[in-house]
Amino acid sequence: MARDGVVLDVAAVSKSFGALAALAAVSLAVREGEVFSVIGPNGAGKSTLFNVVCGLYAPTAGRVRFRGREIAGLPPEAINRLGVAKTFQITNVFPEISVGENVRVAAQSRSADSGRLPSLWRRPDVDMRVDELLGAFGLAGRRDELAENLSHGEQRYLEICLALATEPSLLLLDEPTAGMTPGETKDATQLIRRVTRARGLTLLLIEHDMSVVMGISDRIAVLHFGEKIAEGPPEAIRNDPKVIEAYLGPPEDEGPRARE
Amino acid sequence: MSSIVTGRALLVFAALAALPAVPGVPTYYLLLAFDALLFGAIAMSLDLLMGYTGLVSFGHAAFYGLGAYATAILMERGVLSLWACLGFSVLVVGAYALVVSYFATARRGIYFALLTLIFAEVVYTFFRYTQTFGGSDGIQGLPDAELWRGVPIDTPQRKYYLVLAYLAVAYAACRVLVTSHFGRVLVAIRENEDRARFLGYRVQRYKMGVCLISALLTGLAGAIYPMRSAFATPDLMLWTESGEFIISVMIGGLGTLAGPIVGGVFFTILRDKVSSYVDWYFIVIGVVLIAIVLFMPKGLLGFRRLLGFRQWRATG
Amino acid sequence: MDYLVAVLLPQLLHGLVFGAALGLLALGLTVIFGLLGVMNFAHGELYMLGAYAGIAVIGWTHSFWVALVAAPLIVGVLGALTEVATLRPIYRREPLYGLILTFGLALVFREGVRQIFGGDMRRILPPFTGSTPLLGMTYPNYRLFLLAASSALLLAIWLFFTRTRAGIIVRAAVQDAEMLDGLGVDVRRVFTLTFAGSAALAALAGLLLAPVFTVYPQMGVEMILLAFIVVILGGMGSLGGSVVAAVVIGLAQSLFSLWMNPQRVAIAIFGIMIVVLILRPRGFFGREGVLE
Repeated sequence: MARDGVVLDVAAVSKSFGALAALAAVSLAVREGEVFSVIGPNGAGKSTLFNVVCGLYAPTAGRVRFRGREIAGLPPEAINRLGVAKTFQITNVFPEISVGENVRVAAQSRSADSGRLPSLWRRPDVDMRVDELLGAFGLAGRRDELAENLSHGEQRYLEICLALATEPSLLLLDEPTAGMTPGETKDATQLIRRVTRARGLTLLLIEHDMSVVMGISDRIAVLHFGEKIAEGPPEAIRNDPKVIEAYLGPPEDEGPRARE
Repeated sequence: MSSIVTGRALLVFAALAALPAVPGVPTYYLLLAFDALLFGAIAMSLDLLMGYTGLVSFGHAAFYGLGAYATAILMERGVLSLWACLGFSVLVVGAYALVVSYFATARRGIYFALLTLIFAEVVYTFFRYTQTFGGSDGIQGLPDAELWRGVPIDTPQRKYYLVLAYLAVAYAACRVLVTSHFGRVLVAIRENEDRARFLGYRVQRYKMGVCLISALLTGLAGAIYPMRSAFATPDLMLWTESGEFIISVMIGGLGTLAGPIVGGVFFTILRDKVSSYVDWYFIVIGVVLIAIVLFMPKGLLGFRRLLGFRQWRATG
Repeated sequence: MDYLVAVLLPQLLHGLVFGAALGLLALGLTVIFGLLGVMNFAHGELYMLGAYAGIAVIGWTHSFWVALVAAPLIVGVLGALTEVATLRPIYRREPLYGLILTFGLALVFREGVRQIFGGDMRRILPPFTGSTPLLGMTYPNYRLFLLAASSALLLAIWLFFTRTRAGIIVRAAVQDAEMLDGLGVDVRRVFTLTFAGSAALAALAGLLLAPVFTVYPQMGVEMILLAFIVVILGGMGSLGGSVVAAVVIGLAQSLFSLWMNPQRVAIAIFGIMIVVLILRPRGFFGREGVLE
């Protein structure tokens, strides 16, 4: 159960790979229904943080609690079953089957038969949910197309559909607008916000595009070299001198976008 | 139900059933047909693993051989009932398959291939050098099995119908499986195992499940074999035998079920013609495998793969 | 005490040498898999080809030492040609195809050798005979040479992987093949050279060990099975792990042979593997991450 409305509680999480410390005592608390963004220059540890939360890695130190329940070190499938879903920075769908099949197999994992003996011969009925998801993201017309034939933007949407099909209450989006044109980014941002609001989802977001982050977030945390250097509402972050220094300091290949 | 038993499949089985009735079909060809259909059935069950789940088993011959030995051990002691032999094979092969599949599916796909190979080698070594089971000669001189008391499966016709009945049942079971929830998850695992995990699927369980099913189907085929050959030998479990199963699946086309059956039949007939040139036989197999991978990866019936998926999608 | 010296020590020595050869094979497998994404089922045959190439070269030149240089070169070239002709086209495909293709290659190599050389057991005579007294026992000189040679080889490989630019790149790429793209190297050439190098190493091991064992077309099969066990135990991402596991298996093989017949030895080694897998499912040095 969420205590004080805190859905995800990351407590002093550290993660090292051999001698490399990717995360150093990072703490944050995400509240029910909010949009919480994690930003920072390349190599700051954002993806590592996501990977610890969703179960790919176990933290070297610290705790992760989801709705009061300890999830650090659990395997990804167990964490997903508890209600946490993640999208991938590099599109990670099922390439040689159709779009409809992609979403169907994702939705099936929540059907009553899943993992039980009757699933050997029964076909669960998830068509309605599949239609609804495809419709929400404008992919209904592409249902029969092989996933690998979709355009980049459509594939990013399919990514999100797959995650949503597992009926999470916490959604982790890893650079959902990566590789999109500015126009696509704007549409995607609005769509994501609309869909997550409609479903009452809590959103944890990694993004490089500042327009997206500033426009959509309730709160932002900034990571730099594995540490959290700032946290607060968009206005506070925008003007925080430490944040500005992190981005404008030693050359990263961030480019002009980050300085918006 | 129509997607399980297509009109085309019914036609094929009807034709096969009529084969012994054709006048002038010599016994030799009936028995060759037996071998071909049995091989086809095994290739089909291997396709569940290879084509649908993306796991290559280099030790499938162990399931086959164990099934044969299970039958042989019973029949050697005078238990001739077909059903007892099948049941015992299920127990023996099932126990072995549980152990193998547990270890083989614990890590990523490549280890599956390695571990199935190693396990099969151990089983082969065990039977080859254990005198209780006849050592390198195996168990020979077995009598005919009985359908039930007083009804022996002794003529080539009856043996042929035995394997045909087995193939029909196995085929129907596989078709149900691949169109079910379970079957779709298998394909998802093949396409992107990581993603399937992140969608909440306990991937190892699915892999173990399909491995078990495939092993049991192959083991049952193995159980039937001594009823035609009257022996069970360690050579049935050689890794080269596993290689022949793989080649049958590849010839026929991964992920089609029907393709590997055709591939198995094709390969059996080919082997029958070519094996007189024993020396070159293995080189030919090697070259064929390489050629298929390089030039014809989808196999003979590979183009039907798309059809298979379209059928799938259509049934919703 | 006598037993220790007269029986145990020589067997330990033998096991170390055998383990070193196994380590060379396992390293080759690991590197090829890490870089090229292909599990090379034909690696045992490359080892076998080293011995037969040695037989051929010795037949022409009557010199073991010339063969020691020429045979690995020959097999290395064969490896490069094989890689370009058969493996390169399938890198982007599903890993399943690589397995089947190398399985086919193994068949072709093995049976091809049987056709050319015949299936009989052959012998390669050691380049020098005689023995040396050491620690209260006399050891065949050639075996002492083997010990020195394999240690030197492993040392050289270790230096390669830790001190040379090429080696460091390959080692890093084994963990993460995609990083090669960002380095501006000709990836295809790296792959070919890596495969050829691994092939040459396997061949060298095969020739070095040939005077100690008999030479026959199937000799690679037993090695590859053991190499697979080593790889399973050592974990795929770790080069050091492969060598350690290889030495352990080599010693086990050698020691068990003192007390059991060959079939029981095989089953005992298998038993070790099972026990380790139960206790440490990822192997001794398996990498972090759910999917190792």
